[in-house]
Amino acid sequence: MNFELSEEQKMIQQSVERFVKDNYDLTTRIKLSADENGYSVEYWNSMAELGWLGLPFGESDGGFGGNQIDTLIVMEQFGRGLVLEPYLASVIMGGGAIKRGGSDALKAEILPKLIEGKRQLSFAYAEPQSRFDLDDVVTSARKEGDSFVLNGHKSMVQNAESANQIIVVARTSGGQVDQQGITLFLVDADSTGLTKENFPTVDGLRASEITLENVLVSEERVIGSVNEGFEILQAVANDAILALSAEAVGAMEVLYKDTVDYTQQREQFDHALSEFQVLQHRMVDMFMEYEQCKSMLFRATMEVVQDPKAAQKTIHGLKHLIGKAGIFVGENAVQLHGGMGVTEELRVGHFFKRLLVIDSMFGNSDFHLEKFTTY
Amino acid sequence: MDIELSAEDIAFREDVRGFFKENRMEKGEDYFSWRNDWFAKAKEKGGWDVPKWPEKFGGPGWTPTQHYIWEQETAVENVPFDIPFGLGMLAPIVMGYGNEEQQERFLPDIRARKVNWCQGYSEPGAGSDLANLKTKAVLSEDGTYYTVNGSKMWTTLAHVADWIFCLVRTDDSGIKQKGITFLLFPMKQEGIEIKPIITLGGAHTVNTVHFTDVKVPVENRIGEEGKGWTYAKGLLEHERTGLAGLSRSLVALDKLKESAKSVVRGNGNLMDDSSYKAKIAELEIDIMATEFTELRSLASASAGGELGPESSILKLKGTEIKQRIEKLTVEASGIYSSAWSDKPVGLPFAKGGTQGYLNSRYFTIYGGASEVQKDIVAKKVLGLTKRS
Repeated sequence: MNFELSEEQKMIQQSVERFVKDNYDLTTRIKLSADENGYSVEYWNSMAELGWLGLPFGESDGGFGGNQIDTLIVMEQFGRGLVLEPYLASVIMGGGAIKRGGSDALKAEILPKLIEGKRQLSFAYAEPQSRFDLDDVVTSARKEGDSFVLNGHKSMVQNAESANQIIVVARTSGGQVDQQGITLFLVDADSTGLTKENFPTVDGLRASEITLENVLVSEERVIGSVNEGFEILQAVANDAILALSAEAVGAMEVLYKDTVDYTQQREQFDHALSEFQVLQHRMVDMFMEYEQCKSMLFRATMEVVQDPKAAQKTIHGLKHLIGKAGIFVGENAVQLHGGMGVTEELRVGHFFKRLLVIDSMFGNSDFHLEKFTTY
Repeated sequence: MDIELSAEDIAFREDVRGFFKENRMEKGEDYFSWRNDWFAKAKEKGGWDVPKWPEKFGGPGWTPTQHYIWEQETAVENVPFDIPFGLGMLAPIVMGYGNEEQQERFLPDIRARKVNWCQGYSEPGAGSDLANLKTKAVLSEDGTYYTVNGSKMWTTLAHVADWIFCLVRTDDSGIKQKGITFLLFPMKQEGIEIKPIITLGGAHTVNTVHFTDVKVPVENRIGEEGKGWTYAKGLLEHERTGLAGLSRSLVALDKLKESAKSVVRGNGNLMDDSSYKAKIAELEIDIMATEFTELRSLASASAGGELGPESSILKLKGTEIKQRIEKLTVEASGIYSSAWSDKPVGLPFAKGGTQGYLNSRYFTIYGGASEVQKDIVAKKVLGLTKRS
């Protein structure tokens, strides 16, 4: 048992940390978020050159053979700068599905380009009625000859706007909430019958509502086996939860530290705010929540690396804690910054917004508490 | 980073389990003779009777992971009861600041569990603000003994103690942290009066102790006169960064879940009740997180000796967790929670109604109230200063 990073991992950590520090001040982020793509293509290319996009892929797929601990390292640092590039949607979710279920031909077609930064993916799992239930899938895929015909509506699809291909979770058999009968399809974003309604999200990222009307997908584009997609879906969701949680931990660190700094500078009633005990104790609470989230993140990640199936309960516990603590830290950072906390000018509000979005992704705090109780 | 125990650690765990198994109390065996025997055998294992003592003083010199394993295993095994005052609190001070003669005089008896110690720190006017203590010790003109006068309060197990280690004031001319001296003296002597304090749970654990002209020879002074605060404070901080008792809390939580399952509700049981179940789940998640905070703290201690900031929250979290377990036990007891009895009434686990819960309230008060702990984290970890 040890908590030490390897030399290689330390180098990645330092290099991501430096990248975020040099490139992600608030002004730059606001500008990039409003840009055409909603992120920087130049940064994305740098990330590819630095090898970060290949981290979670096996060497046979052209990657570096890393695991969830390596992506934790990257995402935690990304969280400290609210990085906009679609690492989660494209590499962890999209790439995560293909590395697990893609045929050799699909892997060879997609992964090298993904790792080089020349291909973007998106992962369409949610639907208007599904709320947080991964197995609630209405979008249908009907077999027709060598192809499937997809019809339905996918919700809040991250990075669909920039993606070349979208992985669509659809139902090939079974009832609306059956785990059996779910299939994953790799769908070209410009397919006939696929329409996207793009919009920004609260945190300055992009998402889309996607409508599929008789979209034709070749059976060769099935990821995993027909009807057996749920296992891949669950594994991708778990990786996404770990990545989002690492990002949240990075964001919480910035929030509690910014609050400590700000209250030391701001004077009211002839004293620095930081001298007031009621505020000191609040900041101690924020610090403790951050540390507890970090502990739970380490626990869940290490357990997943050891045995993903046995780690499911801990993942629910992690996402519960991250949602609850993230909002606690965010609300209090805003509160202790006073009026300035509710403006766009300071970064705390932006970090708070990201934490709100993180709670709503892949199941909020209450959802995962309920799931936790079933173990 | 990896979660797996090394082969050496697994072997150690097996060794510990084997030792426990071999030395279980037999049916009908006398508790105290079993206890003595157990500690004697633990000593033969190479200091297992004093796991936390340094090797130099006969401890086993375990790694942090070994300590963690020991804690986990003792949580699920019936091991002999130990009172922490001598072994855990006084011994490190004697080792660190006592002279050789004192180490030879006091440590063997502490180790043999021959002498019961109590701790004379808090006073009527010195609780969380411990340095405000007023019990006075005056050195005799010939410099051979002190005369102690004053009162100590909340003195745990003073009524069964043989000796006390005591903070006394030898000088009140400077700031209050200066002029405090650390003395050791026997409890069963003239001039010492002990009065019980009965706490909310109905227990007599703590006392008020009055000293009237108690004579203490100078050779019973630890370290220098006036430096007692430094010695005691070092230990208090050591206490705060120790293990948070999570293994025991996990065992208690499992028991609580079983208890709740035995409470019939309609066609199911209390664990089907969504709000109760949610509280149990939140508690379990907090324990899981705190367990890893503890491990991170141990890991940073073993890496460089310096404890990471995460260690400062262990006492705060650990005590709060224990209280929540007690509270949920009361909730599970339902109407039987009001029965005040030494035997279970109505439900097998509802012993003493709310006694356990009431007794647990002091967890966040003793050894520095939670609010004082937060002051310390604010100062030491976040670097914040208080309003002057």
